[in-house]
Amino acid sequence: MNTFKWLLKREYWEHKGAFFWAPVVVGAIMILVITVSLIIALAGMGDGMKINGVNVTSLATAVTPEQVSVFAAKFIFGYAGVSMPIFMVVGIGVFFFCLGALFDERRDRSVLFWKSLPLSDNATVLSKVAMAIVIAPVIALIIATMTSLIIVLTVCVAAAVAGVNVFGAVLTNPGIYVAPLQLAAILPIYALWALPTVGWLLMVSAWARSKPLLWAVGVPIMTGILVSWAHHLFSFDWNVAWFWKNIVGRMLGSVLPGGWMSAGPGTFAGDDDAGALTAFSEVLVQSWQMLGGTNIWLGAATGAAMIYAAIRLRGWRDEG
Amino acid sequence: MSAVISAKGLTKRYGKTVAVDNIDLEIQRGRIVGLIGPNGSGKTTALKTILGLAPFEGELNVLGMDPRSHRDALMEQVCFIADVAILPRWLRVQDAIDFVAGVHPKFNRAKAEKSIAHTKLKRDMRVKEMSKGMIVQLHLALVMAIDAQLLVLDEPTLGLDILYRKQFYQHLLEDYFDQNKTIIVTTHQVEEIEHIVTDLIFIRDGKLALTASMDEVSQRFCEVMVSAANTDVARKLNPIDERQVFGKSVMLFDGVPRAVLEPLGEVRTPGIADLFVATMKGIYL
Repeated sequence: MNTFKWLLKREYWEHKGAFFWAPVVVGAIMILVITVSLIIALAGMGDGMKINGVNVTSLATAVTPEQVSVFAAKFIFGYAGVSMPIFMVVGIGVFFFCLGALFDERRDRSVLFWKSLPLSDNATVLSKVAMAIVIAPVIALIIATMTSLIIVLTVCVAAAVAGVNVFGAVLTNPGIYVAPLQLAAILPIYALWALPTVGWLLMVSAWARSKPLLWAVGVPIMTGILVSWAHHLFSFDWNVAWFWKNIVGRMLGSVLPGGWMSAGPGTFAGDDDAGALTAFSEVLVQSWQMLGGTNIWLGAATGAAMIYAAIRLRGWRDEG
Repeated sequence: MSAVISAKGLTKRYGKTVAVDNIDLEIQRGRIVGLIGPNGSGKTTALKTILGLAPFEGELNVLGMDPRSHRDALMEQVCFIADVAILPRWLRVQDAIDFVAGVHPKFNRAKAEKSIAHTKLKRDMRVKEMSKGMIVQLHLALVMAIDAQLLVLDEPTLGLDILYRKQFYQHLLEDYFDQNKTIIVTTHQVEEIEHIVTDLIFIRDGKLALTASMDEVSQRFCEVMVSAANTDVARKLNPIDERQVFGKSVMLFDGVPRAVLEPLGEVRTPGIADLFVATMKGIYL
């Protein structure tokens, strides 16, 4: 187990840019954009008041406590949305990480250094899988949560500058604390869902002699085109849309977050009127309901088989 | 004592090309073996089969294990530097030491840090910032700190300047090697290993052209500086090689007793390089 810890550290050293700095930069940009918008809004408000000539230095008198609490609820509803860009960028990072994981070491020959150490192909490949579906999402979750909290506090400060104290209402709303936990509770579903893409990319990465991206993207898409073509040409009764979505899509797109939401038994409909908690727990419940269907399990099993193939390929590949 | 490596009918094919052709070989513990052959002779391929990096046909036993099925266990006892291996560009000196210390039960951190202290390497340096020589220094510092039973070095000093090369082989002999270790080394700089190897293996076209200990070599092979008057007599003894130096013939004999040769001229033990050239004669024709 100690070896596995070091293998994970080694992946983190190599891919700190994709798994740490990229989400941090996205988070920082979001914070910056929101802060600048708030400053502009506050400045604009100040001007407006002068023009109106109303001698009011704050909004306090204009806002009722009920409005504050509704604002807090709505605000926290959107709070989970802050994490989406961060998870997207990490999802893209995971895609390219898997694609290069077993190819780059062969290209630069450092594979011979790793193989000169007592590291099995099993442990090595599985450490890369763990990096893709566990460590990277957890890091993304932590950064997303911190970003969200900073944005919440920034908005609260801005509201305070405008004369409205929303700190109490926001900080006592349980949603602010529950949302990160709910996101964390979705991670196991993400891990299972991402397996077919992770497995496919690792397998291509272990197999390709050159241009892994071309193989990884080209093979599923060409197959899809051939299937569509055969369908039209011979008027087969094939469900081409199903093939594109469940084979091609799952092979390439499953590392992007939330892909399962359109594949679930019910379709998620954003409920505007509901409170923050109900809306997001709906996502959570539907995510876990995926486990009742076959899609996620078939995908995960296929992914596991392809990961096994990647392990064997890494052992057999003889770099002449 | 049991052999560290024993091979019977070891063969490795790449498609129709036979890179290693039906080799039988035994290497005993406590030896330093020089594996020498021209480019493309199969020496790197042979090493790969020993290290479990390439599948093969025939029988091969390394430290009592089959490298094909027991690679992971084998790598705790065996260390190697492959000729083309490089350290990953993003790796820092400090991280490299931490990592190997973390995964290798036989790694001696103090030893590695001591050898690195003798170089210009800095702890937070990345491989991509290093010169070629520095990368080799780091790699050697890591590998030499591992107490392995078998060490395989494929062109270990490639790209190093002569001062460091001398220092490396001295270090290898004085601080690393002992009676329980076995070292296999390949190099193009034959003269460098001349005085450290205990055994020689010449490989040619995937076959063993010569397997002998240095003692056997000095008994079997003689180089004679034959004076002009004796050349015809000497040629009748079938020298395996003849070259001209300062108007005199230098002939290399295999298995001719010293007593027979001494009347013909000055007799001495040939250098590995001369022996190699004689053995590989005609290979580029």
